[in-house]
Amino acid sequence: MSLIDTPNMSILERYLNLAAFRQELISSNIANIDTPGYKTVDIDFQRELSRAMTLPEGQSMPMVEQVQGLIQRPDGNNVSIDRESLLLSQTQMQFTAAIQLMRAEFQNLNEAINGGA
Amino acid sequence: MNLFGILDVSGSALTAERERAEIATSNLANMETTSTPEGGPYKRVQVVFTATHPQSTGFSNVLASVSDLQVEGVRVEGVVTDTAPPVRRYDPGNPEADAQGYVSYPNVNPSEEMVDLMGAARSYDLNVSAIAATKSMIESSIDILR
Repeated sequence: MSLIDTPNMSILERYLNLAAFRQELISSNIANIDTPGYKTVDIDFQRELSRAMTLPEGQSMPMVEQVQGLIQRPDGNNVSIDRESLLLSQTQMQFTAAIQLMRAEFQNLNEAINGGA
Repeated sequence: MNLFGILDVSGSALTAERERAEIATSNLANMETTSTPEGGPYKRVQVVFTATHPQSTGFSNVLASVSDLQVEGVRVEGVVTDTAPPVRRYDPGNPEADAQGYVSYPNVNPSEEMVDLMGAARSYDLNVSAIAATKSMIESSIDILR
């Protein structure tokens, strides 16, 4: 740990990485909404985050799995518009929230550097 | 895991959905086409979608990691011709009429095409919202620099 690389920072960094990856999966699901036979994929966010905490930075590979319990259409596709659009905005807000926290962290640092002036 | 790669995924869907809409409008436009260069009436065509790894640009390729390989975009695998027989209508005055006075019209059902067109437009919209969400995420990360 150094002055800039605080524990909060590394937690936020892992959180952001995971949120960005989840966004990628959601976009992929949305892109394939009309592809016959395509199955919805996602990650278990909580589990992957706690796993990423135990590993060194950049070492974790999130485990992507097919989502169970979705209604399958006759063409074998099981992407749900509601689920994906909800997750899309949820992930976007999670990401923005983490970014705000990171900015606050930098602002604190900045204040310390400037001696509270 | 990079945000710019997400734009490639959604972008591939925009291309595919646009192509689907193009095909549907082409079917609608040729609803009454009774003769084609290949002979016979126009035949209804359909697109086939398949999941694929997005063709990313050079820059995002460099940033792509192993986990990105699990992410799939979409592309049009091919255009297939509908094998349904043409619709025969009695119209002896038509120059295309056969000996019995019947004309072969394309096997295009306008309601089916309209539904397909609406579906393509909806999916296109959905992907545009995904792009907007990703864009705002990229913008907020850039905000850290300010």
